Amino acid sequence: MSTTSFETTAPLVAAPARSRLPLHIVVFLAPALLIYSIFSIYPLVDTIRLSFYAGDQTGAQHFAGLDNFRMLLSDPTWSGQFWNALRNNLFFFGVHMVVQNGIGLGLAMLLSLPRLTGGSVYRTLIFLPTMLSVVIIGFVWQLMLNPLWGIAPSLLKAVGLGSFFGPWLGQESTALITISLISVWQFVGIPMMLIYAALINIPDDLLDAATVDGAGPFSVFWFVRLPLILPTLGVVSILTFVANFNAFDLIYAVKGALAGPNFSTDILGTFFYRTFFGYQLQVGSPTMGATVATAMLIVILIGVLIYLFGIQRRLQRHTF
Amino acid sequence: MADVSIHGLAKSFGPVDILRDINLTVEDGEFVVFVGPSGCGKSTLLRIIAGLESVSAGEIRIGGRRVNELPPADRKIAMVFQSYALYPHMSVYKNMAFGLKFAKTDKAEADRRVRQAAEILKLSALLDRKPRELSGGQRQRVAIGRAIVRKPSVFLFDEPLSNLDAALRVNTRIEIAKLHQELGATMIYVTHDQVEAMTLASKIVVLNHGRIEQVGAPLDLYRRPCNVFVAGFIGSPRMNFIKGEVRGISNQSVTIGFAGAEMKVDLSGKDLAVGDMVTVGIRPEHMAEQGADAIALEGRVDAVERLGEASYVYMKLASQDDVVVRAPGEAHIAAGDLFKAYFSPRSTHVFDAEGRSLRMDVKP
Repeated sequence: MSTTSFETTAPLVAAPARSRLPLHIVVFLAPALLIYSIFSIYPLVDTIRLSFYAGDQTGAQHFAGLDNFRMLLSDPTWSGQFWNALRNNLFFFGVHMVVQNGIGLGLAMLLSLPRLTGGSVYRTLIFLPTMLSVVIIGFVWQLMLNPLWGIAPSLLKAVGLGSFFGPWLGQESTALITISLISVWQFVGIPMMLIYAALINIPDDLLDAATVDGAGPFSVFWFVRLPLILPTLGVVSILTFVANFNAFDLIYAVKGALAGPNFSTDILGTFFYRTFFGYQLQVGSPTMGATVATAMLIVILIGVLIYLFGIQRRLQRHTF
Repeated sequence: MADVSIHGLAKSFGPVDILRDINLTVEDGEFVVFVGPSGCGKSTLLRIIAGLESVSAGEIRIGGRRVNELPPADRKIAMVFQSYALYPHMSVYKNMAFGLKFAKTDKAEADRRVRQAAEILKLSALLDRKPRELSGGQRQRVAIGRAIVRKPSVFLFDEPLSNLDAALRVNTRIEIAKLHQELGATMIYVTHDQVEAMTLASKIVVLNHGRIEQVGAPLDLYRRPCNVFVAGFIGSPRMNFIKGEVRGISNQSVTIGFAGAEMKVDLSGKDLAVGDMVTVGIRPEHMAEQGADAIALEGRVDAVERLGEASYVYMKLASQDDVVVRAPGEAHIAAGDLFKAYFSPRSTHVFDAEGRSLRMDVKP
């Protein structure tokens, strides 16, 4: 290798000692890297590894390639449940996107009204359910909606809407939307807070300028505020997506692992639970469970990638 | 084009009075500057004219039409904000065309107006840029362009230069003055900077504590301030004020003693009595190191500020009054020197105990 006169000059003597071993970087990164590797990266990788294996009655595992995935997607005993869970999960996500984030946006708009009194009280009250345990929320709503001793039938009767009441959590046609709305009720505070923070970040001058320009309240929202909070709406959407496809607790708390009636509230989380741990007559299978978990990972990964490369790049964060 | 008239206007936020009894007429095509210290209500007054704030009492007319109940868009006004308030997600073109969309201006006409305004403001090459890609001065011009395209009767400027650096501020000030000449529109301009007020205005409105202190042409306010506040606010460095006492009153003149000196000034003495306390005001630029004028104040120099074309001499009199004198740039004066400042009694201002000017040619 040819050396230039630059490389042979004096500073070279001192330089390698500093650049060859950035010890402080290693020291600072090590704790996080270690913990993250042990508790997150290793289980993830091992789950993916496990999804390529199949077990027999003796518990011995052997490499099976993509057989598990083929079975999950096409074997009638597995695929019916898998597609059902995925479909339900998409519906669950759709309800959150439309209802939870829609109401969250509306509430944030109301909270940002300059003449609103008691805004911080509303904010706290609406955010409160978010901090409660999902098990408590599920239990309370189950009691309230109970057709025999719940408060919902008598409340509806009191306002003359008694005939509309049904055993919403028990009917195959209404159970999933009811569960979705319970979850919406609990978590509507999160999009509200995030969007509210974005809204109050927009300078008043900008809204005044739009008003002077002749924009009415709706136009100010549509042409000025909405475009400026789009990045936040994107973040809210992706958080909703990830949370919904990892959801499990509310359905397990209200309907148990069988996600009844007749699997109508079954989502990927509950389906995974039954597959991995087994439930009642179903025997648990770690390898099939790992396969379901990997499928969930892929679904979420696809969603996040679509967001990152398809949507986020077009959203511009604005500084004021 | 239109005039603006305000009658008996008041504004309060809860128990706090922001503006009280404002009466003002802005003639068609006039350049009026509201000036005053921060918190005096000048921006609120501008926002009320714009329709962004409601009034507690009184009436506003633009072009003879009562506008109290009209939304901003129907008042034929355009406003330029201190922060420019450009829509960050829109291009320069869209920023300027935004208001035209709501005014239901025909597309071709809107395009023509935007391009014409861009031409005037030298923004033609920047029409596709976003505000964040522009410099402060360019953003300022876009904000002005957004106002021009709407062809308003009245332009409202809310401290439009305070976010610019000093050099750009002078340039833009001249641009705005030129713009006023070209468009001939009525302009109302808010600033706390009296230099901006003096250079731009055809009429200055001095506000303090929610009241109008004085209205007049820049040089009128400079020559004949009606009270201590206006006298101190207009002019830089500010006028020197020295406590004095009435020593004698004769026909058409009053003898005043102050800071160890005595002078005879042409004042109406009818509201004065011997022994009354008065305030004597002398502008730094009306005092000189030497002169044939009779009155002199002597003091010790505390500090000298050298600006090149002038030096400001800060001195303390034996009476403990602080006095600033504008001396020539090359004056050989140093801190610690004894200094004598000469001035003519004719260039002084005398204010009564309430701060009102006693000069006969002053009208509030």
